[in-house]
Amino acid sequence: MVLAVESKGLSIGYLDEEDRVLWVVKNVDMQVREGEIYCLVGESGCGKTTLGSSIAGVLPPYSVTRGELIIYGRRVIKDDLRSYEGVRGKLTSYIPQNPGSSLSPYMRIWDQFWRVLREQGLNEKTAKERATAILKTLSLGQGVLEHYPHELSGGMLQRVAIGLSLATGAKVLVADEPTSSVDAHLKLQLMRLFKDVRDNYGVTIVLITHDILLAGKACDRVAVMYAGEIVEEGDSISVLTRPLHPYTKLLVDVVPLLGFKKTLASIPGEPPKPGLLREGCYFYERCPFRDEVCLNHVETQVIDGRRVKCWKPLVDKTTS
Amino acid sequence: MLETPGGQDYLVKVENVTAGYLSVTSFSSLTKTFTPVLRDINLSLRDGERVAVIGESGSGKTTLLKVILGLLKPVKGRVLIEGLDIYSSRKAWLRAVKKIGYVPQDPFKALDPRVKIKTSLMEPLETSRYSREEVNRLIKEAVKLVGLPEEVLEYYPSSLSGGMLQRVLIARALINRPKLFLLDEPTSSLDVSTQAQIINLINTIYHNYKMGILLVTHDLAVAQYLAERVIILREGRVIEEGFFEDVILNPRHEYTRLLVKSYMMEPI
Repeated sequence: MVLAVESKGLSIGYLDEEDRVLWVVKNVDMQVREGEIYCLVGESGCGKTTLGSSIAGVLPPYSVTRGELIIYGRRVIKDDLRSYEGVRGKLTSYIPQNPGSSLSPYMRIWDQFWRVLREQGLNEKTAKERATAILKTLSLGQGVLEHYPHELSGGMLQRVAIGLSLATGAKVLVADEPTSSVDAHLKLQLMRLFKDVRDNYGVTIVLITHDILLAGKACDRVAVMYAGEIVEEGDSISVLTRPLHPYTKLLVDVVPLLGFKKTLASIPGEPPKPGLLREGCYFYERCPFRDEVCLNHVETQVIDGRRVKCWKPLVDKTTS
Repeated sequence: MLETPGGQDYLVKVENVTAGYLSVTSFSSLTKTFTPVLRDINLSLRDGERVAVIGESGSGKTTLLKVILGLLKPVKGRVLIEGLDIYSSRKAWLRAVKKIGYVPQDPFKALDPRVKIKTSLMEPLETSRYSREEVNRLIKEAVKLVGLPEEVLEYYPSSLSGGMLQRVLIARALINRPKLFLLDEPTSSLDVSTQAQIINLINTIYHNYKMGILLVTHDLAVAQYLAERVIILREGRVIEEGFFEDVILNPRHEYTRLLVKSYMMEPI
């Protein structure tokens, strides 16, 4: 098993005006296997986008890092040091949330492809063939190349953006909330497309989303994030059907399911503000299963190949 | 159109409404062309009934709310609120609009950032002749109703989270005890855990006050919790309507079928 992305005790923070560090990602150990669709799920402010940006190599300069991040055996983050030379845009690539505003409006789609492909030493003819082939797998015709972004629909732009990141030849694609600007009935198509891309190109996809249902449908493995930590990680079906961490359980319970009108659980309170640091479990205040012990004790356990950050996971309740 | 038996007294009745916007197509001659957004819409809602309007972006959901709120005069058709044509006179509109509580889409943009929550909540009461004590009592009651502590009255919108702002907006819409509650995507900008809180809150309020609810959303699963009846809008036309269970179990239109399928749990 080749690991595409591996992090060891990775923490990422941002400097505020007074030069204090706000830790947004805390002590994350993560392993993304080659060729899988790995999903980072969480609510806003949990650090999923920051973690995703660190893999894509697009962390802003005012960010602070600790720990290690390794992409295909290359160490890109080692404490303060960051080196994405030869990784950013070559090994990893980023699919932005809103392709409409991230493609250059003054360049035809072909010019945007050419800019990427000429870097790889292709001549114009082979580059065009390559671009056409990629677009074909995304069910877009060659005609698209002659258009400007504003002439295409949102769904088409999204596919162009995916095509562009495939054109880089990157092995790891980071997609940040790709479905949030897409209508419900197109979400499924888009997710199927991601699966096809993975199968055809053998790439690894890190998908960032707040939609736990989508994660369960489209991904191989999910990591549930809360307050900057990964609280549970495992294969998507078992995480969703038999959650071990109380937060995952509540997260699944609060999502309305069509055709099955259960009582929606309410998680009391709100997620903590980014940057909160303290001992013990971050979910303590909102956890229905909390205990005195949780205040200063939190423990990562491995159960059935799933990692859970809780000293008393919901094992008995979910298996019985 | 789906008729509910025995009901002549509709709270809202939208009759054959065609509405849209004028856009300048040629700047040299300033020619304006009319682009219809809603075409021949019929909709009715009785006292205490809950209806969800579902549609993708650009289907005309928000335009429909504007028409009902009296903000966009339809080129064809009428809008009746308790039998009163709201576009017949300004007086009629003012009378009708007082019966409506409106919760706008984006809680982060809907409140004046320069004034305290207190002031925002007082605004709808300005037209009624309440004494200062009564106003204070009413706004305190309203924040309590939506489960917020009284202290938020002294806060500015910037220091509240999305879920809290949404509660403030619900409180503001409720303060005049409306008969009709218009909700424009009430949960789309919230996190799932806060979304569940807001859904439960709206349901609790509904069970206490039994006002009519017209909900506009793109999320079928959310609508299932907040409405009994559903109207599917596409390209400005009603393509399907009926009771929730019937529509999701037996979708007749291709689009509805696709929509329902996209919510199913099976792995793809």
